[in-house]
Amino acid sequence: MKLLIDGREIEALEGETVLQAARRHGIDIPHFCWHEKLSVAGGCRMCLVKVNGLAKLMPACGLAVVPKMRIETQVEDVERARREVMQFLLLNHPVDCGICDKAGECTLQDNEMRYGPSRPRSLEPKRHRRKLYRLSPRISLDNERCILCSRCVRFTREISGSNALGIVQRGVRSMVDRLDDRPFDDPYSDNVIGICPTGALLSTDFLYQSRVWFLEPVRSVCNGCARGCSVNVWRRKRWREPHMPGAATGPRAYRVTAFDNPEINGPWLCNKGFDLHKGMARDRLLQPLVAGRAASWDDALAAARRLLADARNPAALVSSQASNEELDAFRSLLASRFRTYAHEDCVPQPGEVAEDRLLIRADKNPNGFGVNARFGRAAMPEASDHDVVLVWGEVGDRAATRLDGVQVIHLTAFGPAAAAQAAVALPLSTHFERAGTFTNFEGKANMFAPVFDPPPGVRHAADVFRSLAA
Amino acid sequence: MSALTPELRARFDALRARYPAEMRPSLVLPLLHCMQEAKGYVERDDAVLIADYLGVSAMQVVEALEWYSMFERAPQGRYVIKVCRNISCALRGAEALIDDLRRRLGVEVGETTPDGRFTLRTVECLASCGTAPVMQVNETYHERLDATRIEAILGSLA
Amino acid sequence: MSDGLVFLNHEIGPQSHTLAAYRARGGYAGLEKALATLAPADVEREVKDSGLQGRGGAGFSVGAKWGFVNKKSPVVYLCCNADEGEPGTFKDRWILEHSPHQLVEGILLAAYALAVRHALVYIRGEFDLPYRRLVAALDEARAAGLVGERILGTAFACDIIVHRGAGAYVCGEESSLLNSLEGKKGFPRSKPPFPAVKGLYQRPTVINNVETLATVPWIVANGGARYAALGAKKSPGTRLFGLSGHVMRPGIYERPTGYPLRKLIDEDGGGVLGGRPLKAVIPGGSSTPVLTAAEVETLALDVESLGKAGSMMGSGGIIVIAEGTCMVRLLQVLTRFYAHESCGQCSPCREGTDWLNRVLERVLAGKGVPADLATLRDVPAAIMGRTVCALGDAASMPVLSFVKKFGAEFEHYVAHGRSMYDGRLTVAGTR
Repeated sequence: MKLLIDGREIEALEGETVLQAARRHGIDIPHFCWHEKLSVAGGCRMCLVKVNGLAKLMPACGLAVVPKMRIETQVEDVERARREVMQFLLLNHPVDCGICDKAGECTLQDNEMRYGPSRPRSLEPKRHRRKLYRLSPRISLDNERCILCSRCVRFTREISGSNALGIVQRGVRSMVDRLDDRPFDDPYSDNVIGICPTGALLSTDFLYQSRVWFLEPVRSVCNGCARGCSVNVWRRKRWREPHMPGAATGPRAYRVTAFDNPEINGPWLCNKGFDLHKGMARDRLLQPLVAGRAASWDDALAAARRLLADARNPAALVSSQASNEELDAFRSLLASRFRTYAHEDCVPQPGEVAEDRLLIRADKNPNGFGVNARFGRAAMPEASDHDVVLVWGEVGDRAATRLDGVQVIHLTAFGPAAAAQAAVALPLSTHFERAGTFTNFEGKANMFAPVFDPPPGVRHAADVFRSLAA
Repeated sequence: MSALTPELRARFDALRARYPAEMRPSLVLPLLHCMQEAKGYVERDDAVLIADYLGVSAMQVVEALEWYSMFERAPQGRYVIKVCRNISCALRGAEALIDDLRRRLGVEVGETTPDGRFTLRTVECLASCGTAPVMQVNETYHERLDATRIEAILGSLA
Repeated sequence: MSDGLVFLNHEIGPQSHTLAAYRARGGYAGLEKALATLAPADVEREVKDSGLQGRGGAGFSVGAKWGFVNKKSPVVYLCCNADEGEPGTFKDRWILEHSPHQLVEGILLAAYALAVRHALVYIRGEFDLPYRRLVAALDEARAAGLVGERILGTAFACDIIVHRGAGAYVCGEESSLLNSLEGKKGFPRSKPPFPAVKGLYQRPTVINNVETLATVPWIVANGGARYAALGAKKSPGTRLFGLSGHVMRPGIYERPTGYPLRKLIDEDGGGVLGGRPLKAVIPGGSSTPVLTAAEVETLALDVESLGKAGSMMGSGGIIVIAEGTCMVRLLQVLTRFYAHESCGQCSPCREGTDWLNRVLERVLAGKGVPADLATLRDVPAAIMGRTVCALGDAASMPVLSFVKKFGAEFEHYVAHGRSMYDGRLTVAGTR
């Protein structure tokens, strides 16, 4: 059906609201409490628009489109309403942007800049509320900055289902709070940080680490499970490296946030994904090892080639952390020389959510699908007759016994201690250090871009395969 | 309270039986009232018990507990005196009565006398404007008040 | 029951609330007539013909509201709004205490018309005697076969559940009442959808005030046309007006709509307390704009006249204010109330009601500044029409009207740091 927004005729879908129709056509109606994936709350009042010339403005977020409806968003009434709503929202807001991490990506700031200024005229001292409250070890809550949009509450009610957050008390005393003394330990808790339109909910891990305008996001994929959610990995802009004395230099992922991928994870991510950069900062294998001792690449490759040449019955465990491109390289260069098995690099850790109805999958690797499609599903049996095994990928604490009496060529990015047990160990890049794709459990491919250069001593798996095949 | 006592559960069951099955969540307020009658006040843990009994989220019951004015969150005096301070009672001298009560009881609004007998509160309109000024002591309305009547009422409460 | 009075047509005594007394004065005749001779649609038509407007405060046409309901829905709910909380209003309490069966009969008739199997009475949590009288009346009614299965031996069945609120003025707003009934905080809902379409548990629901429903038996027994002939033409019937404040004989007075306000105060009410001149009247509960004595000189108590005078019929709670009262202090009694009762859901009301109250507290403490007068005009204008429910408007109208009509007092308080009237709220020499 057709309706008019600011004199422009647009096509709206049955069942849409004015806000949804406007957004689809790139018309900006400011709002705080509305979110694409959450129920309509309609309390912030920022999205009030003029409908069919009537004096009483209506919130666009809950207004169903009707044929020939006439919406105006740029008339004096609406502009005044927006200024006055901003006035109310900022009435008791501390405006401590100077010390608030959200500055630069704050909807409250943005709307004040665009639709204010609201020229504060209250002479009453601002009401003080709880600040720097540890909602959980991961999230800090500031009740002064909160504008009570209820997005976080609705998230725990409608998306994660933990019902861990609520708004208690009445009127101006209302405040976001958790249920009781137990911390907010919902496995999806950190999503509330992103959806919060102010600096009320902040990541404690990221607290005070950097101003956001010094950072840039790089699109990547979480390798924590077979869902393969899209993420943004935030690194310092190249021309904004910190120059303070004693400051750490070198590649650093400051934080990881969700990248809205409607095909796979929508705007959501689980906490393991939010911690992706921590997972990627584990101990690396940074140089080749032969029998546990540091070696040059030439020596290590030569040792590996000798082992393969003399092997009677070689096997290869193929990493499900590998990208599709790396798997293709392995298949074309080396696979024919081995009995290949699928390898599950990572398994659920104690206390980790195995699988749920939202995002989390029991397979804790991003490309099992890619491995199975090329090499089948079979894992290496307990008892086998292989004398040389190429183990591509992490092994954790497992497999050490399985590989007793076998010569292991270990290709890995992580786990230097396990690598030291192998006959030859070759250090690989992580998916943060190259471009590629993973295919998730549904068969959907997802791309990642390089965030950092690989450390000097490591090589890309595809290059290693070429060297071994030569 | 860490678990529902059998008699509380029986009272809950009786209240639940009054409502059609589809309306089970409606029991939140009746059960909070019931809990308050049993215990004198209601804590968040009690709200969790109610939530478990009803199969609604604990947060929903906690939100209700802290939003409605009538639920006491901590032990109160044996008699909770609630004086209306809204417009019609104000026009008929509520303020002077509140001051009188503060003096008599030796407490500020919101406080309880040291002997645990009386808690003094001010409340909003009790729908008794025609017989203002008015106060409610526990459930009972006391209307057409003046200093003399208040003295008599307080004296009659052990 | 046919003398043009719906409620105060009998001597009120200590037994008036009982089933026997109610029956003796013609009670349940309407229900008997309806179940024996009328179809549900006939009952609805009588109510429509009566022109009855909701008595809770909004004054919406009852016939129209009932008409919105799809009676063929599998479940239709009826909620009686007994959450009387509008300051100055005490008529529903009167009905519950003195004639609860009249309400029960009204609920049953409405349930019959609307195909309702379960009706709920949402009653003030603070009410004690009214609650007990209602529960006792329902026990009597059940025992007499008037409530439950096979009412009066017919196929009509209806159960009435009494549900206590827990202290929140906003729950008198019908969509807030629904959320409260569903076991949640009383946050009002955005409309549309309206309750008649999607209400309690998303079922079609009619919410009517106590006085509204308690009027239905008279309408059914005597006919809608006869009700429409009472009182003012466009807003017919009688109303239970509540007189309170600076008046000699405060209380409930049933009068036809269109009755002169000054007559109610001066003759029926015995005049202003202490013989003082009248200063102001709030005509329909605290949320209605205040009127000066001059403005009510010839004012009739009907919807149109009150509208023309710049105020509203509201809940019929008439608050009388004598000369010598400090309007600045009196306004702060109200701003404190609205700030306390704001549910907190939407930003203009949540922040604005608190702001207004804090300004007035500061003015009363002698620390007002001239800019405050503009604030007291502009903030209500920023709240009105921008909120999820009418509480925002209800909080704004007293501020706007008090400052507009008694601006000199506010200016004086700001300029001198004290009241023009020594901060008086009471009439000297009285309680």
